Amino acid sequence: MLEFTGWLLDLFEDPREGLVLYFIDEDGARRRLIYPFPVTFYALGSDVELRALWRHLSNRPREITLRRTQRMDVFKRRMVMALAVTVQNPYEVSKVFRQTAAHFPHLEYADADLQVSLRFAAKTKAFPLSRCRVVADEDHKLETIDILEDAWVLKTMPIPLRIMTLSPDVAPHHARPHYLKAAIGDEEYHFDLQTWRPLLVNLRALIQRYDPDLLLTDWGDTWLLPRLLQQSEKYHIPLGLNREVGRGVSWHEERTYFSYGQIVYRGQQIHLFGRCHIDRQNAMLWDDYRLDGTIEVSRITALPLQTASRVSPGTGISSIEMLTALREGILVPWQKQQAEMLKPAADLFTADQGGLVYQPHIGVHKHVAQIDFVSLYPAIMVHFNISPETILPDPQGDNMVPALGLAIDTSQDGLVPKALRPLLEKRIAMKKYLASKPSWDPFRKNFSRRASALKWLLVTCFGYLGYKNARFGRIEAHQAVTAYGREALLRAKEAAEDLGFEVIQLYVDGLWVQHPDKTQPADIEPLLLEIQARTALPISLDGIYRWVVFVGSRQDKNRPVANRYFGVFQDGSIKVRGIDARRRDSTPFVSQAQMHLLELLASKDQPEEALPEAIAFLQERLRALRHRQVDLSDLLVRQRLGRKLAAYRTPSPAARAVLQLQSVGKEMRPGQRVPFLYTLGRPGVFAWDMPQRPNPQAVDVARYQRLLLRAAGIVLESWGWDEKRLTEKMLSDASQLKLPTLPKPHPEKHGHQVRRLTDSQASHALSGP
Amino acid sequence: MGRTLPSATQLMLNEEAALSRFRRALRRGDQLVFDDLFTAAQKHISAAAYAAHALPFETFLMAMLIEEHKEVMRLRKIIEVLQEMHA
Amino acid sequence: MDRQITVFPMPKTGKISLVVAPRGVVQTLMSMLATLAQRGRVIVLDGGNCFDGYALARALRRSTHQVQAALKQVLLSRAFTCYQLVAMLAELPVDGTPVIVLDMLSTFLDENVHFTKRQRLLANGLNLLRQISAGAPVAIWARTRSSPVGDEDRQLLIPLLETAHDIWELQAPHTLEHQLPLF
Repeated sequence: MLEFTGWLLDLFEDPREGLVLYFIDEDGARRRLIYPFPVTFYALGSDVELRALWRHLSNRPREITLRRTQRMDVFKRRMVMALAVTVQNPYEVSKVFRQTAAHFPHLEYADADLQVSLRFAAKTKAFPLSRCRVVADEDHKLETIDILEDAWVLKTMPIPLRIMTLSPDVAPHHARPHYLKAAIGDEEYHFDLQTWRPLLVNLRALIQRYDPDLLLTDWGDTWLLPRLLQQSEKYHIPLGLNREVGRGVSWHEERTYFSYGQIVYRGQQIHLFGRCHIDRQNAMLWDDYRLDGTIEVSRITALPLQTASRVSPGTGISSIEMLTALREGILVPWQKQQAEMLKPAADLFTADQGGLVYQPHIGVHKHVAQIDFVSLYPAIMVHFNISPETILPDPQGDNMVPALGLAIDTSQDGLVPKALRPLLEKRIAMKKYLASKPSWDPFRKNFSRRASALKWLLVTCFGYLGYKNARFGRIEAHQAVTAYGREALLRAKEAAEDLGFEVIQLYVDGLWVQHPDKTQPADIEPLLLEIQARTALPISLDGIYRWVVFVGSRQDKNRPVANRYFGVFQDGSIKVRGIDARRRDSTPFVSQAQMHLLELLASKDQPEEALPEAIAFLQERLRALRHRQVDLSDLLVRQRLGRKLAAYRTPSPAARAVLQLQSVGKEMRPGQRVPFLYTLGRPGVFAWDMPQRPNPQAVDVARYQRLLLRAAGIVLESWGWDEKRLTEKMLSDASQLKLPTLPKPHPEKHGHQVRRLTDSQASHALSGP
Repeated sequence: MGRTLPSATQLMLNEEAALSRFRRALRRGDQLVFDDLFTAAQKHISAAAYAAHALPFETFLMAMLIEEHKEVMRLRKIIEVLQEMHA
Repeated sequence: MDRQITVFPMPKTGKISLVVAPRGVVQTLMSMLATLAQRGRVIVLDGGNCFDGYALARALRRSTHQVQAALKQVLLSRAFTCYQLVAMLAELPVDGTPVIVLDMLSTFLDENVHFTKRQRLLANGLNLLRQISAGAPVAIWARTRSSPVGDEDRQLLIPLLETAHDIWELQAPHTLEHQLPLF
C-alpha cells in the first residue's frame, strides 16, 4: 500500500498497462503508477446499422465490451439511442475507432477522439499538475486519487518542478551553434557541440543525477532534440530523455494552417514520456505568459503540460468544452453536422456584422476617460446563456436576441456558458487582486502571467463559437454574441450622453468619453454604475487620459481608423495601439525611437515642451544610423511570409529574403516570420539567417531614415511636426546624405475592371444584369 | 467564420464606383464636391453598418444630408454672430 | 426585367438544372432569385459564402417596392463544411419550394476530409436533391475556378453532371485551358 500527496506530472496510454501516470511526491520522490482505464466511444445511427456494428465487434470480448444505452445529444435536445463501445485498453481505442469508422462510414460517432487526460479528468476530477492525495497498491496500481486544489484556486501551492534548461549559444537557423548550455538552478554547464561523445556522456550523467521533470529548451523541437537523438544513436549512448523506460520519443509533424484569417506556422514537436519537454521557441505565447501561464493552461484545459504548451487558445477552449461535456454526460460529436438554420435572407443583413466601431476624430483629445466592458463577449455568453444548443429555432416570447429574430432558451445552463463561467470569474478575481495589490506583491508576477493565459482563452472563445469545425459551435450563437455586444455598447453610449458626456470613440467593447468638469476617476463612477444597470454586464474604468491622439490610417493619414491611437494616462503610463511601437514587424530601431518620443511627451506637463528634446533625439538617432553605430540586429524587420513563394507575382521584401535563403538550402514555410535587413541595390534585402555576415555599408540608410521619420511624424504631427516637416528639418541639418524623394501618394481609385468573356451569352450572364 | 456580405466600408466604395461614370462627366469643380459628399458620408459608416439596410445607398444619402445640415447650422450661427456684431 | 431568362430558363419541377460557371455568375443568379422570390418562397443553400444579399435587394428594387417583403420570401442557410451541406439537404422541408444551391462543390474541396468520404457525402447530397426535385424545382451552381484544386474539381463535378437534366456552362476566356468536358 502506497499513500502520498503530490502533483500529477504526466499521463499517457501504454500498450500493456493501460494508463501510466507520473507523480511528483511532495517528499521529493518521483512515482510511476499504473491504472487500468477502459474508455468508451459511442456509435449512433439506425437500429439496423448499430446491430451490424454489434455483430462486427462482438467477437473480441476480451478487448471490447458493447452495450446499448441512452445518451444526451445536446443539439437534438434529447436522449438518443447509442451503442457504447468500451475498449479495455485506452492505447487501443484510436485504432479500434479508426477501423470501425472505416467499416461503418454511415454511422455517426461521439466521444471518439478525445485526449486520455480529458477522460481521466472527467472520471477522477484529477487534471495534469493538480495537487492530489493518492493511494495505490503494492503493484503501484492507482486505487484512489482525490484532488486537493481544483483548477479554479487562485493561490496554488507551488509545484517543486525540477527544471533543466538546454539551449545552444546562438539560434541554429541563424548561425552554427558552438556549444550547448545546460542549466539547473544556479549551476550552468557548457558542452562543446563539436565533440559529441563527451557531450552525450556528460549530458546523460547530468540527466541521471538531477532527474529533471521538465526539459526547457530553445529550439528543442526543431533542432536540438533531433540532433541529440541522432548522435545518441550514432554513438550508442542513450541519453535517458524519457523517464519511462522502453518508450521512444513522440514526434509530431510541422504544419501550416489558417486561423482567424491569418496564416500560422507550427514547427515540428518532440514529446517525452514521464518527463516533459517544452521548447520555448515553439511554445504558444511563451513571451507573454511563460511557464506560469503554461501551467495554468494545462490545469484548466486538462491537457498534459507538453501538449498545453503547444496548442492554440482555440484548442484550449475546445478542450475545456469537451471536458465539461464529458462531465455532464453530453456526447462530444466526432464530426460537427449542425448547419445554419434556414432563415429569411432579410435577417442576414443585421446578423452578418461584427462589433460596433466608430471612426474617431483624428487629433488630440484631452481628459478622456476610457471605459471597457470586462471580457465583453465571454461575459455575454455567460450572462445571456449563449450556447449552440440554447439558440431556439422557433423564436417566440421572451429572451429574444436584439434585432436577430432568434430566441435563447434560459430554462437551463448552456454547455458553453457552463464551461466559461469559472474561467471568466477566475480572470476577474485575478484582475481585481492585481489592481488592489502594490507592485512588490509576491504573487504579482505569477498572477499576471496566469491572468494573461486566461485572457487568451477568453479572447478566443468567441471566435471559436463561430469556427466551422468547432464541436460546440454554431453560427447563430456567434451572431447572437455580437448582436448583444452592439446593443450593450449602444446602451453605454446612450447612458454617457444622458449624463452629459461627449462620446469620442466606440470600439467593440470600450468607449472613450469626455466631460469638461468630470476629469477624475470618482467623477466617472456614476456613469459606470449607470452602464452596468442598463446592460447587466461588468464594466470598468481603464483610466483617464491626460491626452490621447487618434491617428489616421497607414495608407491615408486623413482617413480615420478605429484602433490606432496613443495616449498618456493621468498616472503617466502610456497606452499605444496600432502604431509602429506595437507592431511585431517593425524594426527595434524604429519602434524604440517612437516609444522614446512618447515617453518624452509624457514626461512634460504640456507635451509641446518636449519638442526641442524630441527633435534633438531624432537628430542623434539619424547620426548614429549614418555612422553605422546602430546594431544591425536593431535594424531587423520581421515580416511574415503570407503565402507560398510561387504565389507571389511581385515578391514582397519578405519573399525576396526567403528566396535568398532558399538559394543556400534553407526552407521557410508560409506563416513563418523571416528576419531581414533593407540593403542597397538588388534584391534590396539581406536575410539575417544567411550564412555570411551582412555588410554594414550595404544597409539602406535612406530607407531606415524614412521609416524612422514616418514613425516620428505619426507621434509628433499633432504638435506641428509631421513627417514632411521633420524630413525638411533633418535634411537642412544634415547635408551629408541626400534624401530620396518621398513615396508618391496613392494613385486615384479605379472603377471595377470588367472581365471580357468569349461567348457573348456568357459575357452577358457573368457581367450581371 | 468568414463574413458573407461586404462591410459597410466596401459597400460605400461599391456605390462610389457605381457612380464613376457620373463623376467622370462632371466638371472638375463638381467632382471635388462629389468627393466631399462621400468623405462626409464616411463619418457615419458605423451607423450605416448598424442600420444594415438592404439598399444601403439610402443610408449613405442620409449620412451626407446630416453633414450638409451640420454645415448649414454652423454657417447660420456665424451669420447670426456677424449680424449681432453689426447691429 | 428578367433579362437573365435569356441566359438560363427558370428551374422547373422534376428537373435539376445545373450551371457551371465562374464566380461572376452570382449577380445573374441573384436576378433569377429575385424573380422567384416575387412568386413565393425560395430556399437558398449557400456552399461558398457567396450569397450576395445586396445584389438581390437591388434586383428586387428594379421591379418592386416591396423589397423587404420579398427578402423575407428567400430562406437562406449557409454551409461551411460538406457535412453541413448534406445535413442541410436532409433537413429541407419537402413542400414544393424551389431550391437553389450556390457554389455546391466548394465545401467538398476540404482536404481535412478524406476524398472518398467526400465523394460519398456528395453522392448522398445528390440523392437528396433528386428526391427534392421530384416535387420542387432545383437549380445548382457549380463554380469553376481559375486555378483548379488538382484533379478533385473535375472528379467532383462528374456526379453533378450525371445528375443534372439541363446543363449550362459559362466560361471566362483565361480559363479555357482548364475547360471541363460536358460529358
